[in-house]
Amino acid sequence: MIKLNSKQCRIYRVRVNDLEAPFLYNDPTLEVCHHESKQRNLNYFSSAYTAAVSAVDPDAGHGELVIKVPSELWKQGDDLKVLKVYIEFSLDQPKGGLHFVVPDVEGSMAERGAHVFGSCDGKMKIFSCHRFWFPCVDSYSELCTWKLEFTVDASMVAVSCGDLVETIYTHDMRKKTFHYVLPIPTAAPNISLAVGPFEILVDPYMHEVTHFCLPQLLPLLKHSMSYLHEIFEFYEEILTCRYPYSCFKTVFVDEAYVQVSSYASMSIFSTNLLHSAMIIDQTPQTRRCLAQALAQQFFGCFISRMSWADEWVLKGISGYIYGLYLKKTFGVNEYRHWIKEELDKIVEYELKMGGVLLHPTFSGGKEKDNPTPHLHFSIKHPHTLSWEYYKMFQCKAHLVMRLIENRISMEFMLQVFNKLLSLASTASSQKYQSHMWSQMLLSTHAFLKSISNVSGKDIGPLIKQWVDQSSVVKFFGSFAFNRKRNVLELEIRQDYTSSGTQKYVGPIKVTVQELDGSFNHMLQIEENSLKHDIPCHSKSRRNKKKKIPLMNGEEVDMDLSAMDADSPLLWIRIDPDMSILRKVEFEQADFMWQYQLRYERDVVAQEEAISALEKFPTPASRLALTDILEQEQCFYKVRMQACFCLAKIANAMVSTWQGPPAMKSLFTRMFCCKSCPNIVKTNNFINFQSYFLQKTMPVAMALLRDGQNICPKDVLNFILDLIKYNDNRKNKFSDNYYRADLIEALTNSLTPAMSINNEVRTVDNLNADVRLILEEITRFLNMEKLLPSFRNTITISCLRAIRQLQKNGHIPSDPSLFKSYAQYGHFVDLRIAALEALVDYTRVERSSAELQWLLSMAQNDPVHYVRHKILGMLCKNPPFTKTTDSALCNEALVDQLWKFMNSGTSHDWRLRCDAVNLYYMLFGLTRPSCLPLPELGLVLNLKEKKAVLNPTIKPELGVGAPDPVSLGVCGVGQPPQGLKRKADTPLGSPPEPGQVLQQQDDDGRGARYKIRVRHEDIDMETVHDSQAFIHHHLNLLERPSTPGTHTHTHTHTHTHTHTLIAEYRNTHTHHCRGHYIHVTSYKQALDNKKKPAKPGSVRRTSTSAGRG
Amino acid sequence: VFSVHMVGEGSVSICRSAGKATSSPAENYLLARRRTLQVVVSALLTESGFESAEKAAVETLTEMLQSYITEIGRCAKAYCEHTARSVPTLSDTVVTLIEMGFNVDTLPIYAKRSQRMVITAPPVTNAPVTPKALSAGQKRTHPAHIPSHFPEFPDPHTYIKTPTFREPVSDYQVVREKAATQRRDVERALTRFIAKTGETQSLFKDDITTFPLIAAQPSTIPYLSALLPSELELQALEETDSSEQDDQTDGENTHIALDDPGADKENSMLPPSGVVPSTKASEDNVIDNPYLRPVKKPKVRRKK
Repeated sequence: MIKLNSKQCRIYRVRVNDLEAPFLYNDPTLEVCHHESKQRNLNYFSSAYTAAVSAVDPDAGHGELVIKVPSELWKQGDDLKVLKVYIEFSLDQPKGGLHFVVPDVEGSMAERGAHVFGSCDGKMKIFSCHRFWFPCVDSYSELCTWKLEFTVDASMVAVSCGDLVETIYTHDMRKKTFHYVLPIPTAAPNISLAVGPFEILVDPYMHEVTHFCLPQLLPLLKHSMSYLHEIFEFYEEILTCRYPYSCFKTVFVDEAYVQVSSYASMSIFSTNLLHSAMIIDQTPQTRRCLAQALAQQFFGCFISRMSWADEWVLKGISGYIYGLYLKKTFGVNEYRHWIKEELDKIVEYELKMGGVLLHPTFSGGKEKDNPTPHLHFSIKHPHTLSWEYYKMFQCKAHLVMRLIENRISMEFMLQVFNKLLSLASTASSQKYQSHMWSQMLLSTHAFLKSISNVSGKDIGPLIKQWVDQSSVVKFFGSFAFNRKRNVLELEIRQDYTSSGTQKYVGPIKVTVQELDGSFNHMLQIEENSLKHDIPCHSKSRRNKKKKIPLMNGEEVDMDLSAMDADSPLLWIRIDPDMSILRKVEFEQADFMWQYQLRYERDVVAQEEAISALEKFPTPASRLALTDILEQEQCFYKVRMQACFCLAKIANAMVSTWQGPPAMKSLFTRMFCCKSCPNIVKTNNFINFQSYFLQKTMPVAMALLRDGQNICPKDVLNFILDLIKYNDNRKNKFSDNYYRADLIEALTNSLTPAMSINNEVRTVDNLNADVRLILEEITRFLNMEKLLPSFRNTITISCLRAIRQLQKNGHIPSDPSLFKSYAQYGHFVDLRIAALEALVDYTRVERSSAELQWLLSMAQNDPVHYVRHKILGMLCKNPPFTKTTDSALCNEALVDQLWKFMNSGTSHDWRLRCDAVNLYYMLFGLTRPSCLPLPELGLVLNLKEKKAVLNPTIKPELGVGAPDPVSLGVCGVGQPPQGLKRKADTPLGSPPEPGQVLQQQDDDGRGARYKIRVRHEDIDMETVHDSQAFIHHHLNLLERPSTPGTHTHTHTHTHTHTHTLIAEYRNTHTHHCRGHYIHVTSYKQALDNKKKPAKPGSVRRTSTSAGRG
Repeated sequence: VFSVHMVGEGSVSICRSAGKATSSPAENYLLARRRTLQVVVSALLTESGFESAEKAAVETLTEMLQSYITEIGRCAKAYCEHTARSVPTLSDTVVTLIEMGFNVDTLPIYAKRSQRMVITAPPVTNAPVTPKALSAGQKRTHPAHIPSHFPEFPDPHTYIKTPTFREPVSDYQVVREKAATQRRDVERALTRFIAKTGETQSLFKDDITTFPLIAAQPSTIPYLSALLPSELELQALEETDSSEQDDQTDGENTHIALDDPGADKENSMLPPSGVVPSTKASEDNVIDNPYLRPVKKPKVRRKK
């Protein structure tokens, strides 16, 4: 038996060593739940989906395509000889995997810029979707060498992995065949293809690197790629290792699945990353993308993962070396800022959604052992992960790598990488010894071993804490200064009970800036000690003339008048190096934060100080922030953040604020003409720091509010003047982002309209200020049609502004404009912005028509990214949630979404997970509240409390299908043996749950119930106190829609039988029998000490049910 | 007749653009001349024994004759001017004829031949009057150092410059103000025009004219317009580039700043991005890249 992965393909014949071989093709993920359930329970769906994915999991040796090796060849197989499998297949109009972009214009395919590419996300290499376009073993751990041939139209270029050996015309000279050879063993998911009328650019610095872009974009390609060689040099230098492949290709395609995806020796990028020399903002972003892609070439493509559980190592290493690149190119400030940003992101996510587990271990595959019970999806397979979760997973992975670096030093870290790479490259050159190739696969174990070999250090505790365990640490800190003992009494508490948190025990660094200098202290966080005494070095009496030494050796003069005369403490920082994945809430006095902001040189400290100062709206805070804003040595992102903080402080101080509106005079001084301060200088963006500041300041200023809580007239006029006098003629850079930000500033200045009696909004009763704003927006929007800006940034800002005007009641709320911009055929950024507005409209107006419109676009749009984004935005800004009542929440919607995730998204893993997310967001894990209440289930539930105890029972059961054991087993992905199969399913193919479920469906149509058993809540083996158990269930049954007392639940249920169909009586009998059988099977299970029930008995059970 | 003609024609430049069906005096004059020439040609043809001729042939001969005469006239005029005279004399004409390879001695005999036809003189029409140029203002008299026989000065308006503008406003604020207003007006007028002539969308149901938005039109290849800089921007870029060249002292900084926006500048050693090293560029022809290799012809397979 040979099992391969294949989806969508039509397979005509299979031959093994020239002998015809019978084959079977069955894809359980096409439709996850096969039966028509009225329950629509996400818990159930998730486990069924996991089971379906497990059933074809290549890492477990499964696949959709099962080929029976002819018996004549069995001998050969036994002798470990090579079998050649020949598969004849075609792929007709694929929905996923390969993406075709064919602009609808006149001309040949080449003239139209039509192209096709493997639309899998190499960056998010999780969703290995190569099975979508060719049969293969779709696993990262199955390596082989490749020979690829592509025959394409003569006007096209086929770019694929490996070396292009030759290109030959076909006999009619109309087509070309590209022959590729990839001698380095590579897993199928790392193979890709792009075909199109590409323009070819050989890198001027590295001739073995070739870039491809769509027609007319060559100038942009030249500029954007002019930097790539430096990234190459950087990685090769730090890894002391040559780039592993003999060539590298970058292809820029339209409608890309993700921005960056890396494959063996090639990377596919979104064409939207290309930019000209005039664009500032896109430049660092594009370079980052290139650097990510290249980092993944080493770790991810060349070295790939042993199994899914090892994914974190590769993501971690590639993310880590990418971080090193950031540090080198963009500077230490940018790097630390980025680390802080990433840390904040992961902390926020984990605290909100629950932990992210890097290295899940699955013992025995029992649902009960699910390491992440808080999630509504399984993390056992990449295909079932929510996209958001995976992004956080990557983020955490590289942060943990950085923690390891902190522990063992960067030098050792790089040595480890070098070792891994050299082992892999030695292995890859062993041409015919595939057993050697396992060196090219990286596992967690091998990585850790290599670390301990190289560094000699034990990083076990670190790994245990951050890799084997999910969640982050949450610290609360406060302090008191004991003057008598000259000691700082620091108290650090932890919250390790809320979701997403864990307990931390170990060292923590605390930095104390005193008058005499800055001192680091290593404290030990232990189980019960909260208080730490830190002796101070300086006397509180201060020497007036002395300069104060800082951590970096610098000595500065400070105005110490603000500080507490008794204390020598200037500021305190907990874990300044971010060597714990934590959130710190630290309390110190406002003047300490101000000192920290002014004098601490670390950008992270400055940013922390800024966010802390928001709570201290005082003139001193104002002064500190203004000083930072003016300081040109200060990191520009800190200054940008200071702008927003200043706006908040100004609003809090509105009654006492002195002088012109915040930042106005500063902006005037920095960016306006000396002779006429109301006119801004003509643009000159040569200095990027001040460019970014110039962009940000108006946006922040527009957030200012006066006593009536509206934006001061001064500020609005100021912004309108900036727009009016904006002059970019002498600038060598484009001002599109600047102008877009000015529109954003106008948007920020909007406040809700004064509405009298809900009058209809017309042009006549428009507020005068709004009229001015609308004038500008109209003009900008119209000008953009004639002279489009880069990535349509201005239109995007205008759309946001219009939505904001609608939302604030200045103009009539109307979705039609956004709908027209959301259509296919607009630039993708623009579409997303329009869709975002529509999503918002849907929520605010509770419009079911728009929701339907959005959902139908999510189902039918040609661009994968847009479909993904629609669902993502609906999740972020849901029209309703499981806790709110809404007219939108109805049965039809439940059905629609259910169908969508059940069968409508089988061609796109990511989209299916998005749909699952949305379903979760709208309806929660359990039965959507808008569905009619199930009746019979309650009876059964109570009566069957013992049956429920079966650990493998699934939350949803058919009454007439008294087969909980088999259901449960298949629910977690262990194919039950001896189950009744579909007639056409031969022995040996993995029975998938769908089949079983369908059969069960036949048995028990109509009367379904749901038991809300959360196995994770109850340890089934230990709960024997039935009283407690009943209580538990009764609690679960208490819903608003089930009035009635616990004790009468049985009778109560009978009063609800009105919706039951005629078969009900029958089913009811089933139920009784089923009940009985349940008990027996439970007993069996008990007798067998929780082994799954014998197959025979199970089968009998289902048969009897069917007959009854 | 011929010779008379010849001399007469000498000073007259023949207008060749007489194709228009107008009847100005000048045209009439020329047409009359031409008709006479045609008669001459016809006479010569009759003399040579032709009984009839195609119109085209006659026309061609007329044209040749006319060219010939014109050339003689032009040449004779040149000779006469060469000797600082203004009217050609007989000797000028003779020299011209000789120069053109015509045996002058045969001319008197030819003129006195017996079968010569007498042709009536062309009708007397007024020589075309060149319309007087509009004269404006007082013509300047010659200053003392210019002899009086020199041509007169032309009309003053042809050489006098009259300042018609006011003193330019150089106040920076006003200039900026004006530029901004002007640009805004142009933009508004343009967009309104386009909005009026095409499809629009409106933010208000009741009023579609106050804030007309040009309707969003999906394009077939949306990324092109979104990514490529517009002509205008490119043009502006070229202008700034050239205008900056003279004060490009900090040019190097510019390029480095482009390389790493925001932070430390460590790579100042590297060549500015976007500039391909010239040595490499010249080696382009020796680059061996598989995608640049020519596509091979298919091999002819032997087996059928």
